Amino acid sequence: MFFFKRKKSSDLYLSDKPPLTGLGKIMLALSYIVLTAWALAIIWPLSQMVLSSFNGNQGKAISMAGTYVFSWDNFRYLFEKTYFLSWVKNTIIIALASALLTLLIVSFTGYAYSRYRFSGRKASLMTIMLIQSIPTFAGITAYYTMHNIFSSVLPFFSRQALLVFIYAGGGIAANTLILKNYIDSVSTELDDAARIDGCSNMEIYRLIIMPIARPMLAIIGLWSFIGPFMDYMLPKILLTNPQSYTLATGLFTLINDVRTMNQPAFAAGGLLTAVPIIILFISLQGQLISGLAQGSVKG
Amino acid sequence: MRYYPAQLTDDIGNLHPRKHQALAELAELGAQLETASPEQKPTLKARLATQERGLAQHPYTQKLEAFKRKAKTFETELKRKQAQWRQQSTHQDKRLAKLEAELKAAEQSAAFYEAYQELSYDAELAYLISQRKQVHLPAIIQQQLDLEKLLAEKEALKAQAEQQDKTKLQAEIAVYKKQRQETYQAKLSELKAKKREGQISSKALAAECKMAKLALKEDLALKELQDPVKGLEEQIRAIKHHLKRGIPEKYRVMEADISDLRRRTPVEVTRKSPRNFLWNFILPGLAQLANKQYIKALCFFLGSLFIAFAAIPYALGYGNYQGQGVAGLLSLAQGGRRVDRSIIFMIEGIIAIFLLILALAIYYFAIRDAYRVEKKQIQGIRPHNWFESKELLESRGFPYIVSSPALLVIIFIVLVPVVTTILLSFTNMDPKNQSKFAWAGLANYKVIALGQGVAGQAFWHILTWTVIWTLAATSLAILIGFILALLVNQDRIRGKKLWRTIYLLPWAVPAFITIMFFSVMLAPNGMLTELISGLAGQVVNVKNDTTLTRISLILLQGWLGSSYIFLLCTGILQSIPQDLYEAAEIDGAGAWKRVRHITIPLMLYQIAPLLVTQYTFNFNNYSIIALFNNGGPFVPSKYGNLAGSSDILISYIFKLTIENQYQALGAAITLIISLVLMFVSFLGFRKTKAFND
Amino acid sequence: MDVRLKNIGKKYEGREEFTIRHINLEIKSQDFCAILGPSGCGKSTLLRMIAGLNSITEGELIFGDKLMNKVAAKDRDIAMVFQSYALYPHMTVYDNMAFSLKMRKESKEVIHQRVVEAAKLLQIEEYLYSRPSDISGGQRQRVALGRAMVRKPSVFLMDEPLSNLDAKLREHMRVELVRLHKRLGTTTIYVTHDQTEAMTMADKIVLLNKGIIQQAGAPSELYHHPANVFVASFIGSPAMNLIPGRIVQGQYVSDNQLITLQPSPADSPKLQEHEGEQVLLGVRGERLNPGLSEANNLQLTVDVVEMLGKEQILYCELADHTELVVSAPGHLEFKSGQGYDFHIQANALHFFNQATGERIN
Repeated sequence: MFFFKRKKSSDLYLSDKPPLTGLGKIMLALSYIVLTAWALAIIWPLSQMVLSSFNGNQGKAISMAGTYVFSWDNFRYLFEKTYFLSWVKNTIIIALASALLTLLIVSFTGYAYSRYRFSGRKASLMTIMLIQSIPTFAGITAYYTMHNIFSSVLPFFSRQALLVFIYAGGGIAANTLILKNYIDSVSTELDDAARIDGCSNMEIYRLIIMPIARPMLAIIGLWSFIGPFMDYMLPKILLTNPQSYTLATGLFTLINDVRTMNQPAFAAGGLLTAVPIIILFISLQGQLISGLAQGSVKG
Repeated sequence: MRYYPAQLTDDIGNLHPRKHQALAELAELGAQLETASPEQKPTLKARLATQERGLAQHPYTQKLEAFKRKAKTFETELKRKQAQWRQQSTHQDKRLAKLEAELKAAEQSAAFYEAYQELSYDAELAYLISQRKQVHLPAIIQQQLDLEKLLAEKEALKAQAEQQDKTKLQAEIAVYKKQRQETYQAKLSELKAKKREGQISSKALAAECKMAKLALKEDLALKELQDPVKGLEEQIRAIKHHLKRGIPEKYRVMEADISDLRRRTPVEVTRKSPRNFLWNFILPGLAQLANKQYIKALCFFLGSLFIAFAAIPYALGYGNYQGQGVAGLLSLAQGGRRVDRSIIFMIEGIIAIFLLILALAIYYFAIRDAYRVEKKQIQGIRPHNWFESKELLESRGFPYIVSSPALLVIIFIVLVPVVTTILLSFTNMDPKNQSKFAWAGLANYKVIALGQGVAGQAFWHILTWTVIWTLAATSLAILIGFILALLVNQDRIRGKKLWRTIYLLPWAVPAFITIMFFSVMLAPNGMLTELISGLAGQVVNVKNDTTLTRISLILLQGWLGSSYIFLLCTGILQSIPQDLYEAAEIDGAGAWKRVRHITIPLMLYQIAPLLVTQYTFNFNNYSIIALFNNGGPFVPSKYGNLAGSSDILISYIFKLTIENQYQALGAAITLIISLVLMFVSFLGFRKTKAFND
Repeated sequence: MDVRLKNIGKKYEGREEFTIRHINLEIKSQDFCAILGPSGCGKSTLLRMIAGLNSITEGELIFGDKLMNKVAAKDRDIAMVFQSYALYPHMTVYDNMAFSLKMRKESKEVIHQRVVEAAKLLQIEEYLYSRPSDISGGQRQRVALGRAMVRKPSVFLMDEPLSNLDAKLREHMRVELVRLHKRLGTTTIYVTHDQTEAMTMADKIVLLNKGIIQQAGAPSELYHHPANVFVASFIGSPAMNLIPGRIVQGQYVSDNQLITLQPSPADSPKLQEHEGEQVLLGVRGERLNPGLSEANNLQLTVDVVEMLGKEQILYCELADHTELVVSAPGHLEFKSGQGYDFHIQANALHFFNQATGERIN
């Protein structure tokens, strides 16, 4: 009896999807093949980079021809013979400073544009938005000269500082718009409640709106932080001294300049740079995407 | 000819009869004139003119003048007395002394002005204000005195409490704390036990633990306050806060109340049309001074200082780093010293223009403000006093004030450079004219349009490739991302999380690293080169072959860009409601039809604006071109020596401007593509929510 | 504390017209006053002006004996409950309730004592350390009330506080709010568009329309003596039947000649002043009694019967298809399509001037 019952149950079709037809089976198999192929196309180059960064049996160029010798040589070279650490430091300082400056400016404008109806509100945003769709490089000739002028007045105004301002300035309109949309979704009754509870304009901003907008501020801050990591052009234009390079410009010297070339070390440096960012992206993908989708932060 | 209005309008819109009899008569004559027949008009006009001339001799005017003189002596006397009272006061708090003196003064002015209420609105207002002050001030003073008394009491209590022996109490508190800690720990272990038994989820556990901890903290802090000294300290702190804040807050209410009176009591002036504002053409602030808005005048004077000592001198060339202010824009340092550089002259000229615009704005606002104030005054609306202006600035100026840092950054980081680029495109800055260059009109645009010269010959080739590149690379990425999203999100595919994580990698790895790595692998002797050569049976050198380089670039960007599209589409796919598919299935749509008629349209509708940014991004994708093959391979016969065959416009501009010093030509190209990009972006975000609300 | 509004008016910036004007109102200490009106009638504007969230363009707002026009919202000694509750999502329930006191720099002891007291009264002690997002709608409503209570205000302002709750919970909270008001005895001003809420809870109803007070008074007064046609048709469900007609020799004759009614002796003198003029007759559905009587009879054909249990709503027609609504006791039997006799008592008749809409009797 018991046996019979079990046999019967194994025949039951338990899935709530309809059974597959023959064509469906082929399509499913095809899907898996395509997915696997693309996964390989992604993993193979990346794995090559990881492998070569640990391969001690290479010359100045990456090659997998010889026997594989696991070693930390490439990393050692990176830390001892190149400015890798100061590149990391420069990049982090520039990225942090741009993120903070962006947040400082944008948190105010986002709040003002969301909560206040003032004349020129829509027009100003639209104008800035349009002007900002002009790529940043449009000003490259001017940046040089402006830096000369500014630094003659303010000696501490370094080229890195100019970079920070360019990064922060470039995103003001888009980020203001994103934050404005987010704050718009917060009921204005909260402002009223806070006002009755005794908050001034600034206190509403500081104690109520900013804490509530923290998720969106985090996304904006994160993107402003990542931007300088990814950018290659502006540091290449503005920074001249290898010691003041950012990671992107610095690592490039390891593959294109004959004097400083060391491709395996580049692979090692790339790995070291990529790992934290990959972790960041994978853990925060949801938020990052929503931030992008909300206002398409400039890449 | 203008007439005096018969009635005065206050700020709320209520009408008031005139108190100035002379003006009332004039107004009446004016009204008669309006309706008079043509033959009556001349006599009436003459009467009006004589009356207007005789305004100063009118008995009412005489009376008013007498009152004004009296009021002036009264006010000076009162001020003197007020200072005296302040000094005589026994209050320790100087603010209280001031308030008391003000109260006494209010009593006296009420007595003085009461008799003149019918004479003029100014007197009526002064009377009303002094009355209102007599309501408010005693309450403020009393409250403050009460608080002072309370503070003294509490401080005495505290001194007493400090004398007492507290060991017992402290022991008690310590015991309580220990007990409370124990109950907290017990609660925690109870919660953890529940978790182990599966009664609550780990999320609930975390929330509960947090709540328990907050409760513990609150209870402990409260028990501490049972120590009378600590409790009293806190009370004293609160009282001190109220002592400090009480006066300004209440005083503000009084001033707001007075402002209400000012808004409701009209003003009468003998002017018929605004006149004072003309002073502001000479110096912003003078008209405000004439309107007796002293602090506002001071603010505009500060603006004038900026105009007189910053904007104008800078525009004239003083205080410049090197240039000559606005004049530098014209001369561009031609014939200047050897060290003088045209570009600096140009930028300083632009900065000077921005400063001048700011100066003009100050001028404009000062004049407009004075004009409006006067115009309203003639209607009967009183000008704002400083308190009112300040309130207005605080409420309505707030967004402007907090946005000003953004404005500054945008002016210097975006506007000045952009204007520089625009101007540069009309000069002849090139390798031969680096330090000194001159205006060259449309020469650069001509070079581009005709594809002439060392620099221009490559333009059209590059433009063609740029368009192909943008369309092909972006579309490929979109196609790959889109298909992958569709495939992964099928019901029957397993391991969705794994696939998604893998497909996210090209996006997560910084693009410059991947590009550089591929560049290395496709270099001669690179890993991929050898692999492909092995497969093809001959040496394939990608980087030396224009077509292969281009194909690799497009494939590489497809590889890089697909990730983001994939993630975006996945997000949208998951948000499409399932019942749509079910409805379609019931209607007999097959799998492919469902995708074609539901998924694709819905998805396209949502991501279309974002796709525009993808295209503009690739149009400007400098990194991949520069890092992969630096624009190469080079084909001098076709492209000249400046650009390679895989260069797109942006990298071409980069090479022109930075590497080869054809800045003017670069600027011209920049300008052209910027206009195109602006147009495309405008199409893209014209439809977004932010612009339609 | 009693609240007086003297000739209050509000003109928004950039608009020519006053949104509301000439509002004169006196709310007695400890009263529960409902401001009722259709959406867009200016009731929220009025409440926000009392709260200090909107400025007052003209008139005087007086709390007790103090002029409040320019006093900042926080110093008015009021507390407000919002439609969306407006709880700060980033703070715990405790912090939400304590926030206003913290801003006032009250001592911790006082804060704790008041918060716990309010929490006990509202039975939300358990949730004191949860966030608003973790508790249910009804609990959030209580927290919002608690937040208002801890301030110990002299006036409670409520802006449609129950409209976000489901029907059942709303009924429950209605009773609870009344109970709370009885217990605290705080003057309460309650804005709503729901006449049931206003009728059941308020001591005094102020009915607003188009920025003007239509009638202010006790619920029964508004129900039994509506001051004009708007009040008559707004208050009561089903709405009052309004039939145009004229006064002929002291009697009311409807325009279609189908109804002739003899007004009560008390009303006759006032109606005589309108002899021959167009008037509107108002009769509530429950005052149309089944059966015949000596006078004031009319015959109606029942069209649709809506059975509610204790009563039934009859949608009836006169011979010329003029519609009338009758509310009859539930135990009587009516069939749709059949004619029945009804009679009206003379004291159930309301007469309105058709031109002005004002009440006549």
